[in-house]
Amino acid sequence: GPLFFFLPQAGQMQLTQDLELFPDQSVTQLLFRDVKNCAELRKMLKVYLSLFPLLPKVVDLFQTLVAANKAVHLQKVGKMKTRSLYSEIIFSLSPTNNISEAFRRFGVSDSDSAVLVVLVHNKEDIFNKDDVTSKVDGQQIPADQISTLSDMAKIKKLYKVTPQEEKCGTVLDAAVLRMAAKEVV
Amino acid sequence: MAGMDGGSGGAVAPPSLPGAQLLKQGAEARVYRGRFLGKSTIVKERFPKRYRHPVLDEKLTKRRTAQEVRSILRCRKAGISAPVVYFVDYTTNCIFLEEITDSITIREHITSTQASGRSTETLYGLADRIGQILAKMHDEDVVHGDLTTSNMLLVGEEDGKPGKLVLIDFGLSYISALPEDKGVDMYVLEKAFLSTHPNTEALFQRLLKSYIAASKKAPAVIKKLDEVRLRGRKRSMVG
Repeated sequence: GPLFFFLPQAGQMQLTQDLELFPDQSVTQLLFRDVKNCAELRKMLKVYLSLFPLLPKVVDLFQTLVAANKAVHLQKVGKMKTRSLYSEIIFSLSPTNNISEAFRRFGVSDSDSAVLVVLVHNKEDIFNKDDVTSKVDGQQIPADQISTLSDMAKIKKLYKVTPQEEKCGTVLDAAVLRMAAKEVV
Repeated sequence: MAGMDGGSGGAVAPPSLPGAQLLKQGAEARVYRGRFLGKSTIVKERFPKRYRHPVLDEKLTKRRTAQEVRSILRCRKAGISAPVVYFVDYTTNCIFLEEITDSITIREHITSTQASGRSTETLYGLADRIGQILAKMHDEDVVHGDLTTSNMLLVGEEDGKPGKLVLIDFGLSYISALPEDKGVDMYVLEKAFLSTHPNTEALFQRLLKSYIAASKKAPAVIKKLDEVRLRGRKRSMVG
């Protein structure tokens, strides 16, 4: 019989967005759940540090987009604190200036079962999804469903979100602000 | 004076954000509006001032940029609404901030209330809230530096339902625990308030009363405010 494909209403499997400040660059994010090879992916990240970061501690894709923008900016002005663009994205997510702490807290751990892949690529490049999906043993789901997988309590703790702060804004607001302000605190 | 060009910084450089639209050319910064990472964003760019020594200028500009970000962080942590900072470019001293949409300034709100013939007493509730928020901000040792009714926004205000108050433009702000600094902050507001809005002495008194009621540290600030009223904003009359 005929096959019907029901696409999720909210969005596409992966989300590609422009970096306005770097018009030739784009960011694509892919989300996976029930990932069984996190330990393997983690090793891959260590060996080929520039492959892709795996970030399960994210409340919204805007948070990782902001981190990617900052990493690309610091790379262009020669002020990265880490060795690769992708490690810089992880470092940019952290609210503190401690690099090892950033990796411990925001990198993927062997026990993680959800993985967000953030790729920075040339806008003109044809993005080959298989390059990523072939490496992840898990189920890809629409990237904008990230909030269903994020651990709110953990994220609040990571960014030290105060209860008063939640009265004037979201946890995403709090996270993004700390990422932007960490150089001056 | 030659070179004293009011801080225009010479030719206007194009904004780093494509499609950004110039909103305001100030003495300290240019303010643009545009789309950044898919969001409505305000870009505040502090430009070099040619009449200052370049090294000193760079240092001062960096410090101001950092202080603005720091003050916003302190305010939001304490539950005081201020725009979220999305990104800071410290090489060009540009701050990318959340645009507060669907808002009106307190200035517009007071002016339209007065123009519609309604009594300023209908604004007492608002004055109370402003007093409380400023008391909370000063308790966090944030001194705004440019308190005016144009730098306070009202979001989602409808008849019968009070909106959210958002403080903006922390460009001259800094962290200080000194009652003197907070007193000057309130003095700047008082001056701006009474000169912008005629016949609002009682309304401003209401604001001050609420400020005093909301903070244990207020009496020391008000004492300084009284002193500053007598001598003016400057600590010394020299220069």
